[in-house]
Amino acid sequence: MTVVPEAEMVALIGHRFPGGSHTIEHWENWLLTDCTGRDQLPDGLAHPIALFHVPIQGVGTSIAELFALGQVEGAGSVGLDSYDWEYFQPLEVGVEYRFEGGVIDVERLVSARGNPYDRFVFSIELASPDGKPAARITNHWRLRR
Amino acid sequence: MTIEPGTRVPPWTMSDVDPGRMKTMAAILRDPYAVHWDRDAVAGLGRGHRVINQGPLNLSYITNMLMAWQGDRCVRRLQVSFADPVLDHETVTATGVVTSVETVDGEVRATCDVWLERDGEPVVSGVAVVAVSGEYL
Repeated sequence: MTVVPEAEMVALIGHRFPGGSHTIEHWENWLLTDCTGRDQLPDGLAHPIALFHVPIQGVGTSIAELFALGQVEGAGSVGLDSYDWEYFQPLEVGVEYRFEGGVIDVERLVSARGNPYDRFVFSIELASPDGKPAARITNHWRLRR
Repeated sequence: MTIEPGTRVPPWTMSDVDPGRMKTMAAILRDPYAVHWDRDAVAGLGRGHRVINQGPLNLSYITNMLMAWQGDRCVRRLQVSFADPVLDHETVTATGVVTSVETVDGEVRATCDVWLERDGEPVVSGVAVVAVSGEYL
């Protein structure tokens, strides 16, 4: 198996996602909230956990595209290291948010078990229709080599 | 009842991590990672024929705990690390403790150490910031 050259991965730093807009739909928030095991939220509130998939989709990419960008595929190739999610206002269903973001860091590291991996970090910002910051995510993924 | 450093957040338990919910979640996320919905895909990972719960769902149990405590609009920040996967039909409990309380932009916020544990061992851990509900001020 050929290991993805480190230089190829580091070159992703600065990669910008297309950007765009996205609206959290009632049905997706209903199902998402149901998956978490709690009652539905009142007043059109979106479940805070929407801050995983909504930014990825809203910025014009997808989990599959992120896997392709990181050159990983197959079971066990990806792990989660950490999330840093900031909520500047509660997320709401039916609001068209704007999204911008990109890859902000990549670093080749070695796990405690001696296996190489790339720490792949991307950040996406959400703005509400009036232009005010709504949220920001910074996700650290582990791409195993 | 006031909130101060050392105040415990009432725990929130997911008694049975449901593989059916993982499938629904995968569809919502448009997540092609088969470890969440194909038992054969995880067979080679040394964890048996048990699918792996999505990280966001693990985190959702922590957010559900926080919202049950301080209200549905309370979450201001989540900083968490993932230590170990959660598998289908496991039981996990979210818990937390307040480490500081401060006022930011006129809003009283509590910073909490939070974690999700299985059999007493943390599988997700980190820090959450929540707005404190008026009834606790």
